[in-house]
Amino acid sequence: MNSVQQIWDDANESKISCEVLIIGSGAGGSPTAALLAEAGFDVLVVEEGRWVEQGTVAPFSLDQMEQQYRGGGVTVALGLPSIAYTEGRCAGGGTEVNSGLYRRPPTEVVERWRDRWDVRDLDPDELMKTATEVETDIHVTHLPGPASVPSQLLRQGADALGWKHDVSPRWMTYPDGNPRHGQRQSMTRTYLPRAAKAGARILTQCRVNKINISHAKATSADVSLANGQAGTVSFKFVFVCGGAIQTPAILQRSGLRKNIGQTLAIHPTVKLSARFAEAINVPDDVPVHQVKEFAPDLSFGGSASHAGLIALSLLDQWSDFKGAIEDWRNMAVYYAAITSEGRGRVMSVPGLVDPVVTYRLTARDRELLRSGLSRLSLLMLEAGATEVYPSFRGAPIIRGRKDLALAQKRFSVNKASVMTVHLCSTVPLGENRQLCGAGSYGLVHETKNVYVNDASLLPDAPGVNPQASVMAIAVRNARHFIAQEKPHA
Amino acid sequence: MALAPSLHSLVHSTAVTILQHDLPGLPVVVTQEVATFTVRRLGVLATHMRLGVAAIALFVRLFASIAGQPRLLWLSKTHLPLLGEYFRLIRSLSYAYIWEKWPDTRSDGSPA
Repeated sequence: MNSVQQIWDDANESKISCEVLIIGSGAGGSPTAALLAEAGFDVLVVEEGRWVEQGTVAPFSLDQMEQQYRGGGVTVALGLPSIAYTEGRCAGGGTEVNSGLYRRPPTEVVERWRDRWDVRDLDPDELMKTATEVETDIHVTHLPGPASVPSQLLRQGADALGWKHDVSPRWMTYPDGNPRHGQRQSMTRTYLPRAAKAGARILTQCRVNKINISHAKATSADVSLANGQAGTVSFKFVFVCGGAIQTPAILQRSGLRKNIGQTLAIHPTVKLSARFAEAINVPDDVPVHQVKEFAPDLSFGGSASHAGLIALSLLDQWSDFKGAIEDWRNMAVYYAAITSEGRGRVMSVPGLVDPVVTYRLTARDRELLRSGLSRLSLLMLEAGATEVYPSFRGAPIIRGRKDLALAQKRFSVNKASVMTVHLCSTVPLGENRQLCGAGSYGLVHETKNVYVNDASLLPDAPGVNPQASVMAIAVRNARHFIAQEKPHA
Repeated sequence: MALAPSLHSLVHSTAVTILQHDLPGLPVVVTQEVATFTVRRLGVLATHMRLGVAAIALFVRLFASIAGQPRLLWLSKTHLPLLGEYFRLIRSLSYAYIWEKWPDTRSDGSPA
């Protein structure tokens, strides 16, 4: 893969040019790069993070956070409470580090986006056809064998309560047929090699500071490299695909602010640890079962659960919970995620490298998180947990149904560790100029050649893992672009 | 990263004090290693967060120098906005590091 110095030395000056500049190499940028390069466009992908080969860092480890996450995995949306979130910062973006679970956007969600935001030609059936193509490209498949024990426990608990549950497929291959030996088919394994094969150049450790725009037309981007060198990339078209936080920040630094960064949507999540009588922990994987009885408002699933993460989940009430850490092999972390009605903001502040992010939960969100954690506790008791440790300050140890009322009484969202891994909707697409920052195919309103093509475009949170939605819409938009514009060559 | 040296001087001793109190069985050399890791990770936070951490850390150091270590531990158990989050951040990074690297560490920090 091209390194910083290779491309820049080839150019032998501080300026390089391309026909299409794609900023970011995650679930939006990579398919865009592959499709445009295959259509004959001269594509340059710039990625702020490094290229990290899969298998060189342990999944969900602090080492991975340091190498592949922004801010070492410690990023926060300010508010009461502040909400921790994570952003991938590496070649492939979040697809390299997330759980790999795949969910198509529900039809009613696509219809809502089309109708409320006035997204032209957003046909649910057509989008599902595109999703099917994506699923082939990234090898979406179910486990070839039984799910892990922590995953099965979710199913057992739901069965005992008569709650709906299902198994989420993943973008994985299983070369030896062992469900524990999956190989993630992330962007560095799929669309980025495809883009490179079609002639796209991929430049890592290159940060875009600003897009230079004059009379609604962008002509170049100011960039800085890991070695401190500054440069300029000139282009005919630019696609900003830095994710729901970085994309609006780049646009704002470039002077574009209307309906940009004002409507951040997330799936807020609260957690607990459940302790069982026997060893159940799987340190390097996450459950594939999800409980959907209360979806889309509320969903339950399992998280990464190595000993370090178990310790983190016990931290809020360490004085009472600490003894459990010595039994971490019998424990796993589970979450309750909600579809939030709150909204957040992304604000680029002059003088600061990183944007300031805020998020405000509504009263309904807070009540959902309260009931979600209580129901999740019940689910784990029914799954056979001997003790449940909710992650909030002042939480009691839950050993039976009689303890649930006390836990619910003591719970306050402001005392809880609220986090999210799903961020979207900071540049919503559509023709409704009161709501949308970009048009129906991602062209930023009031510009002639600045496109967005990532999670920022989703009009609101889909209520399921958003990567399938992001990729299907990115492919749709890239195809529309190809149909409208002709490559220079 | 320019703030890293000053962050070290502001945070390292506070992290050591908290770890010695929370996890009295943690070997001295491990305590130092964990505190160093925690400070290093604070050094890669987003700009505004790093500035916020530095400001709170400065306040905490001044408070500790005037009021003494026992009061620092009392302060570390308060849940005031920002201040409480600063101590929680130190504990989060430290605990995650300890149990990820040495998963069989006992709850008092002593090796298995």
